[in-house]
Amino acid sequence: MNIEEAVKTYQTYYCLDCGVCTGSCPVSRILPSFSPRLIVEKALLDLGDELLKDPELWSCLTCSRCFERCPAKINFPEFMRCLREEATRRGTKPVYSHHGMLQTIMELQTRGIHQKKTEWAKEAGKVAASGDTFFFVGCMPYFDVIFRDLGVDSLTVSRNVIKILNAAGIEPVVSDEEACCGHDMLWNGKPEIFKKLAEKNLDVIRQAGAKRVIFNCPEGYYTFRHHYPEFFGELGLEIIHFYDFVQDMIKQGALQLSNGTGAVTYHDPCRLGRMAKIYEGPRHILQTLADGHFHEMERNRENAVCCGTSGWANCSSGSKQIQVERLKEAKHTGAQTLVTACPKCTIHLSCALNNMDMDLQIKDLTTLIAESMD
Amino acid sequence: MVSMTRELLSLMGIDNERLALEWVSSAEGARFAEIVTSFTNKIKQLGKSSLGVAA
Repeated sequence: MNIEEAVKTYQTYYCLDCGVCTGSCPVSRILPSFSPRLIVEKALLDLGDELLKDPELWSCLTCSRCFERCPAKINFPEFMRCLREEATRRGTKPVYSHHGMLQTIMELQTRGIHQKKTEWAKEAGKVAASGDTFFFVGCMPYFDVIFRDLGVDSLTVSRNVIKILNAAGIEPVVSDEEACCGHDMLWNGKPEIFKKLAEKNLDVIRQAGAKRVIFNCPEGYYTFRHHYPEFFGELGLEIIHFYDFVQDMIKQGALQLSNGTGAVTYHDPCRLGRMAKIYEGPRHILQTLADGHFHEMERNRENAVCCGTSGWANCSSGSKQIQVERLKEAKHTGAQTLVTACPKCTIHLSCALNNMDMDLQIKDLTTLIAESMD
Repeated sequence: MVSMTRELLSLMGIDNERLALEWVSSAEGARFAEIVTSFTNKIKQLGKSSLGVAA
């Protein structure tokens, strides 16, 4: 999609030039040279070449805070995604974090390899090779290795999903052949790799005979919900977020949770909150677990801020500043634990916390649930 | 660092014997030749990897 088509598709000509997007943007606050409003304007003024060469194109967190508030309802993150596709076609690319290791792993998954990444699942509980329910684990086995130094222990979260599903009498399918969901490739401007990964996943899930797919990772969930149908049409699969499932279990009395987590606060991930509109489910669960000791941060729900970097690209001193501010905000609520619901938020916020002298714990909601099971 | 990369290779189903890291100083020409020769032989023995065969 070239710029002209992107302008038409996302109707950016309805821009009122009000600047609410730039005023809402967590990046613009730190890097005044980055402005969603100016990017929209440049695209309208036919300054495409200048725009596509601009490294600022990759500074956007695609966190959707601007779209949430835009009075003209311009979907800036999706517009940005299209600009990045075009920029990539013309040979510019973002500054990859972690030396591009994660992008390499994603791209290799389209090159005929057969992964061996489910050993942990067999140790965690009962899993199956085929069946109704597919647990889409996502990148956790890789994160577990890459971010071991941060002490985030990503696979613990996945193990706990299996533990909770087993407690509900479900033996989910986990597969070595499951590929990356493609989220990062899509937002890194590489839709052709996204498509290859997505096609592979749909094949694997269908071959397993699954009718529903459960996600713990918000990015996987949102990508399957929103972008897979956009690229491939109706999937014929039930796409379920794990927290919706947990809430149903609690309602049916199939899951008994004790309280006593101490004071907690909650960080809304962009993909789960503003994009998938799941705000209240995690809060209901937390209120049960924390027994009146759940405290909201000042910026919550649609006003929440991003964890500072996305798509494993352009992690900068600005990202760090966003993370430090967010951690201070969490601490300010009086919480001992900052609960997150996204593996990447956990990684990014832990990275910042490790360099701070702050008495705060970061924990994934799934792990908190598993620890509170009776 | 290399042990972590080898772990990642295993997860990807790529034989982690295909990756090695050795430190050789500029004064150790014979050792350098020996390491490279033995690693090349090892790779030849392992044969083609699954990579490069497009899915």
